[in-house]
Amino acid sequence: MDGSGETAPYLLYLLLINLVMIFLFWFTDLPQRIQLQRFASFVRGKLYVLEEMEAGARRKAVAYLGTVGVREPSKVIEGFVDNFFFIWPVGIEPTDIIRRLRHLIRTRESSVRDYVKRVLDSAERSVQYSVETVLEVVSVLRLLNKLVRHYLELGLKYNNLILLQYLVFQMPEIVEMARAYANSVDAFASGVPIGDGVGPLVAKMLVEWREPQREIVEGTDLYEVEVGGRRVYAIKASGPGSNVGWPGEALEKLVGELGGAVDRIITVDAALKLESEESGEVVYGTGAAIGDLGPEKIAIERIAESYSIPLDAILVKMSEAEALGPFTKKIYESVVKAYEMVRRTIVEKVKEGGTVVIVGVGNTVGIR
Amino acid sequence: MLSQQFDLLTVALLMALLMLLLAALVPWLLSVTRPKPKAVREEVVELVGCPVCGHEISRKYEKGDYVGKVVGTCPRGDGALVVKAIYVEKYESPK
Repeated sequence: MDGSGETAPYLLYLLLINLVMIFLFWFTDLPQRIQLQRFASFVRGKLYVLEEMEAGARRKAVAYLGTVGVREPSKVIEGFVDNFFFIWPVGIEPTDIIRRLRHLIRTRESSVRDYVKRVLDSAERSVQYSVETVLEVVSVLRLLNKLVRHYLELGLKYNNLILLQYLVFQMPEIVEMARAYANSVDAFASGVPIGDGVGPLVAKMLVEWREPQREIVEGTDLYEVEVGGRRVYAIKASGPGSNVGWPGEALEKLVGELGGAVDRIITVDAALKLESEESGEVVYGTGAAIGDLGPEKIAIERIAESYSIPLDAILVKMSEAEALGPFTKKIYESVVKAYEMVRRTIVEKVKEGGTVVIVGVGNTVGIR
Repeated sequence: MLSQQFDLLTVALLMALLMLLLAALVPWLLSVTRPKPKAVREEVVELVGCPVCGHEISRKYEKGDYVGKVVGTCPRGDGALVVKAIYVEKYESPK
């Protein structure tokens, strides 16, 4: 007995299993289905993380709204998050699109403001601004979760492997963005300046931390100082609540009041850095340094163009987490560099006796 | 012949098992060998100073403070002490 008779069934089984596997993996959709489920499982895991972030942000928002005197804060948040959407104006007819966009932005802003005023009537304006921002942050997190769940369910419903694969590749960025938003609730609630506030802080440094001369347009302050024999006007959002103001409209009004007698406009803002760039890098260039939906930026460009005023931009590079999180020491040191760059630009590019307007663009939370 | 083939099959199975174990251990090995991030302690501080004489001190952030808030008078002169900046300072925690 050599045993070959007992080995044969094992080899036969192995061969049979191999054939079945080859059939299943080469001639059916099984590998794609397995991959689809693996992708779905990965996305579900990340969705759980996103939901935890949203729940955490809601808890913080409830606690903050409670401290500023909002009754039934959970209901207030619930009434906000799925409402106050914004429908983009018609783009195939571009005539007057900026006017329509500006009108819709203002209408939404005033609706949000009215909603917050109804639940927070007695609080001062800076608190109302911060409450608005906290509600907006929770709303963004809710929207992110809804979108991810939508694409996950859509991919599973139609067995769309490519859709789920794309979602898997996008998830790390989505989670990082959501984390930045979730962490920002602390900064907005505590009133500590955030990275996006580099523009307002540079403006505040330039005017030597003085009180504003006047509110030039709603939620936007004007300062006037002298730097090296040049008249300097600084525009920034009114603080210390979470507010970005209307810098474009403010600049339009100021330049109009001055009859266009402005030698230079310098805009300062935070900008998202590329992965290859260092956080806190300060760079300068030409144009309007502002990241709004369009109306404020175009107002700056139009007023500069109509009076032929040179328009400079100074940017401080940072990540999204840094832009939405409290100032780090590194970002503060960059603000000092940006301030020195603004002063240098004023002295080098504007003649003595000339007039310059500095626009400190960004969220002014924690900065009066 | 049977024992030889059986041995070969056993060795093949054992090797497959070993490879599976190694594959399962790779994430653990990577996590053990990866350098651990240093513990960092964060503190919000504010820079308080006098815009007139340039006197500056750094102190712990007090809730309710904001940049531009007047928090006293300058010990070196008549100027006001204002909060010039608020930021997070990071310190490496001792092991």
